[in-house]
Amino acid sequence: MKEFAPLLHSYWYLLRGAEMTLLMAVVAVVPATLLGILLALLQLFGKRFARAAVLGYLFVIRGIPLLVLLTFTYYLLPLTGIDLPPFWGVVVVLAFYYGAFMSEVFRAGILSLPRAQWDAARSLGMSRRLMLQIVIFPQALRLAAPPFVNLCVNLVKATSLVSIVGLWELTMASREIVERTLAPFQIFLGAAAIYFCICYTLALYGKYLERRVVHGH
Amino acid sequence: MLEIAGVSKRFGTLEVLREVSLSVGAGEVVVVIGPSGSGKTTLLRCINLLEDYEQGTVTVDGEPIGYRLDPRTGKRQRMSEREIAASREHIGIVFQSYNLFPHMSVLQNIIAAPVRVKGVPHAKAEARARDLLAMVGLSDKAAEYPVRLSGGQQQRVAIARALAMDPKIMLFDEVTSALDPELVGEVLAAMQQLARDGMTMVVVTHEMSFARDIANRIVFMDGGVIVEQGQPEQLFFHPNTERVRLFLKRYNDRYRI
Repeated sequence: MKEFAPLLHSYWYLLRGAEMTLLMAVVAVVPATLLGILLALLQLFGKRFARAAVLGYLFVIRGIPLLVLLTFTYYLLPLTGIDLPPFWGVVVVLAFYYGAFMSEVFRAGILSLPRAQWDAARSLGMSRRLMLQIVIFPQALRLAAPPFVNLCVNLVKATSLVSIVGLWELTMASREIVERTLAPFQIFLGAAAIYFCICYTLALYGKYLERRVVHGH
Repeated sequence: MLEIAGVSKRFGTLEVLREVSLSVGAGEVVVVIGPSGSGKTTLLRCINLLEDYEQGTVTVDGEPIGYRLDPRTGKRQRMSEREIAASREHIGIVFQSYNLFPHMSVLQNIIAAPVRVKGVPHAKAEARARDLLAMVGLSDKAAEYPVRLSGGQQQRVAIARALAMDPKIMLFDEVTSALDPELVGEVLAAMQQLARDGMTMVVVTHEMSFARDIANRIVFMDGGVIVEQGQPEQLFFHPNTERVRLFLKRYNDRYRI
């Protein structure tokens, strides 16, 4: 047990780092989701120009590693004169990055509904907006829920990259402690356990949603 | 009541409808029969513009549906989505695969469109929905979700849902084709009731004996055109064309027990 003394001494510091990780993930997931829905709608129902723009955006984002995008923005922002605190800078990058992937999840959810549902809604005289609102979205969101949760898990883990641009969170906190204690294995084991707890809980929730999708009501 | 004039439709190079014209009077029940791929279902879907078509016009009570002719140039223009949605209110359709909304209860399925599209007060829409459910014999199922119902029950809910918009005309697209034989009767009974109440109906079906019972007129389609039409007795027993005679012979050979 003695080997784990460094971890026992610093677990509180790690948990505070975890708090920051969670905060960042939660704050980023909200705009990412909204952006995802917007991009999905534009791609499905937008004018040709809007569809092409969205497609280009997804193409670019998919081809860039998040780490590169974070670092790039970190150096770019001061040059543009935009004075954004690092936390918000990172949140914006995460939102734009994950928004792209979320849009694919929502688009797939909407497209996987049978065409017959659209026919039924249209035949009852519903406007497109109304059918989306009361017929398509409620079903599509249910279908999209499991892959959506999957992306959220991904996002939580991706926050560990932001320590590279100097933002303090769980991974950064771990590195600080390691520098003081010289006990990398114990500390990172602790950090990994915390990440695992967060992600596993989310994944369980995703599994639960998946069962609900399969079994209906 | 319903006037279909010179409607043509193609899927790529395949001509599905070739200048089909058909008029249906108020309270009339017209049954469309014919082999698969003859264009029956497409014709129904063109009536309320679930399919676009290249030529021709459809009017209900004199009101054009989907396309209007420009009074000056005589050119055919597609109406705006809003106008098309508004005209669909008057045309009820029931599909082969029921197409109920699975995330809504039976009652919600029926009242959604009247309340959200027509602005009928909730209480009034619900009272009407319960009347309609009683008519199709499903009073006790208002709170159920579609997955808990049999195919025949779902199809009767679909009929009630379409009727809740108080349509001027009802279209039925092979509504019993997906049902177990034992459940067909209950759906046909609901349709018979509706015909007796004077609803104008266009019915696409493969149920020949039902067609004979319910129809004022039978229309036989093949290859995207109306080959022959007439009174049920005349068309079934003294068809004028060889094509209809052949179709009925094949049908009889297959279904004789």
